[in-house]
Amino acid sequence: MNNTLRELLNPVQRQSLVISLTAFLTSLLLIVLLSLLTLITVRGGAYFWPTPIYKVSYIDNQANDHMVLAQVTLVDEESATTQLKVATLETPYGSELVVEDTKIKRMELSLDSAAISLIDGRMILARPLYLSSSDKDILPFYSFEAMLAEVELINDEIESIRSNQLASIHEQLAVFDIKGVEADAPAREKLISAFTHAQQEVERLESQRQAYQLRVGFADGRALSVNLSSVDNLYFVSDLSFIETWGVVLSRVRTFLTESPKQANTAGGVFPALFGTILMVFMMTIIVTPFGVLAAIYLSEYAPDNLFTSIIRISVSNMAGVPSIVYGVFGLGFFVYTVGGNIDALFFSDTLPAPTMGAPGVFWAALTMAILTLPVVIVATEEGLRRVPEGLKQGSYALGATKLETIMKTILPIASPGIMTGVILAIARAAGEVAPLMLVGAVKFAPNLPIDSEFPFLHLDRQFMHLGVLIYDGAFHSQTNIKSASMMFASCLLLLGVVFVLNLLAVWLRTRLRKRYLQY
Amino acid sequence: MLKLFEHNTLHVNSIDEANTAIDVQGLNLWFGNKHVLNDISLKIAKNQITALIGQSGCGKSTLINSFNRLNDLHNSCKYTGKVVINGKDINHKKVNVSRLRSKVGMVFQRPNPFPMSIYDNVCYGLRLQGVKARRQLDDAVESALKEAALWDEVKDRLFESAGILSGGQQQRLVIARALALKPEILLLDEPTSALDPLTTLFIEELMGELKKRCTIVIVTHNMQQAARVSDFTAFFHQGSLIEYADSDTLFTMPEKNKPKITLPVVMVN
Repeated sequence: MNNTLRELLNPVQRQSLVISLTAFLTSLLLIVLLSLLTLITVRGGAYFWPTPIYKVSYIDNQANDHMVLAQVTLVDEESATTQLKVATLETPYGSELVVEDTKIKRMELSLDSAAISLIDGRMILARPLYLSSSDKDILPFYSFEAMLAEVELINDEIESIRSNQLASIHEQLAVFDIKGVEADAPAREKLISAFTHAQQEVERLESQRQAYQLRVGFADGRALSVNLSSVDNLYFVSDLSFIETWGVVLSRVRTFLTESPKQANTAGGVFPALFGTILMVFMMTIIVTPFGVLAAIYLSEYAPDNLFTSIIRISVSNMAGVPSIVYGVFGLGFFVYTVGGNIDALFFSDTLPAPTMGAPGVFWAALTMAILTLPVVIVATEEGLRRVPEGLKQGSYALGATKLETIMKTILPIASPGIMTGVILAIARAAGEVAPLMLVGAVKFAPNLPIDSEFPFLHLDRQFMHLGVLIYDGAFHSQTNIKSASMMFASCLLLLGVVFVLNLLAVWLRTRLRKRYLQY
Repeated sequence: MLKLFEHNTLHVNSIDEANTAIDVQGLNLWFGNKHVLNDISLKIAKNQITALIGQSGCGKSTLINSFNRLNDLHNSCKYTGKVVINGKDINHKKVNVSRLRSKVGMVFQRPNPFPMSIYDNVCYGLRLQGVKARRQLDDAVESALKEAALWDEVKDRLFESAGILSGGQQQRLVIARALALKPEILLLDEPTSALDPLTTLFIEELMGELKKRCTIVIVTHNMQQAARVSDFTAFFHQGSLIEYADSDTLFTMPEKNKPKITLPVVMVN
């Protein structure tokens, strides 16, 4: 083979063959990378992009005529079918439907139809007809904003009664109940009557709020009433100008970034997951950096050059290759059950058998990830330390510096770009890891954030949400639900963004530090 | 005429106790199994420039490294014999190495300023000794930079990175850094081999100035340089001291044959 090649081609041709082969493979790699980015950007972006609503009339398999409002979710050229998200009175929140193109009789933009997002995350595709309220019975639709503001006012009122009156009365009552003193009975009676009064006020307001209704119609003329208090926002998605479109996108991005997931992680936002990811990564960084840097300093500056040190070095490099799920199992078995269990037995024995620290939580997750990323930090730091010129170390020693002073004042500053690289690599790895986290603390849905206003503010024992876990969860839903799939892609896009920003930060920091130590 | 010569020709054997900066007595040194210094004995005169010459690998750098115990950085280094500075054997266990090194300054072959400002570079040693007072540091920086003939060039940019200086300026900065500690002895390990001839000349002139206030030991590959700047010259070959005499004698009428054979070879350098 080799010989025939040699006979067939002259050296110049052989060289160009090699060049074109390597260039071909590189371009293949580029194409794969680009398509990955494109796919995630397009599918993730679709989650935010308002899709126009069409009025579609089609014939079903029983040859019945149907007239529906629908969004196009997928156009399949090959099998000549169109996948629609169809809203009717029976399925106001939309149901998936695949129609053959030949069976679609007519399809036109429905300019007066709107996508109505509800507070609970669901979305109705319908034509808003009119509004109704208790005092003035029927109102044209253009007063929607004003009505929404009125509902908001009632909401505020209810909320203030609940938190200011009901809660405090409830607390006072609880005090009386615990005391159980007969003499308090009249005061207690008074409180109870105040409580009932406030409660009646709330009920009255709620029924008043209930009266605000939005009447919406579907393509076949049938109509539905929607409680205005359950409406979050409303956009005429088929009739948006360019700027309005971007306005919708921005408001959806804001919702995505600041709100909790709704409808089993298929709608709403990812704020708790983003927060959990950042918190976990932050805690991990705090744990892993001193450990990794100190270990690397020992290995590179103090450890004797012998077989034992070589074995440690090799083990550290091998640790980087251990499958992450193994770390997860280790974290569960050692940190959660052994260490956490012992902490419970020592400090929280009054709440046993309910575990406090002996259950998966954000601290154990951070600790597990710290161990997982430790080799990355050690190897990068050692690399950075090794790059410090011998002459500088000698110069420092020659001025009377001890080893520690030399390390602190000369070696570490010069090695800082290397250390930074290692830490950022560790962060990027921890941000994307899923498997070990599911064992040691990340959950699909956590009711509370790990940080809140309650003492001790940072709840290390709480479970948390994680972007990677959300994506993983979304991927399982995606087989049945297109909507959750695009939320998954949106989360992917966000995760990519987070990692990208982290890397950008790393590059910026590194160049800044390098510039400072330019001559080396 | 004869008196004129006598003035200069201080003989190596007549260096008395008071005028001895470093007294090396039977120093043997090994790196692992390699015998690097073989029974070296010599006295280095105070406030004079002593040049150490010889082929690469003959042990001259190792010898000056043993004047401030820089060889300690190598784990495999073992030694016997004494190096006496100020009446004390510096190889003794109880010697404070940091203090020794601050009294025996060293300048290396390649300029090695730290990646910090010029000011911080000069302060490095003083800060290690716990000097914090700003005025004291300012004064020390100014006088050290003046002694190293660098003050006029850098006085307006003391707080810029030392990396922006040229090679020769960097080497003078390194000298100033050592001088800031007011050393009694200054060890120069081929200080000009990475510099251009003009800068070399500049540093040589500087050495002539500096010898008024400290003893200078210089390792060099450049025979002319040794002849130009040094008062005494020690010639090494394969770890042994072959000849040690005042420079005029050594370069004009060497006692032994070996220098005659090897000198031209080295001079190609």
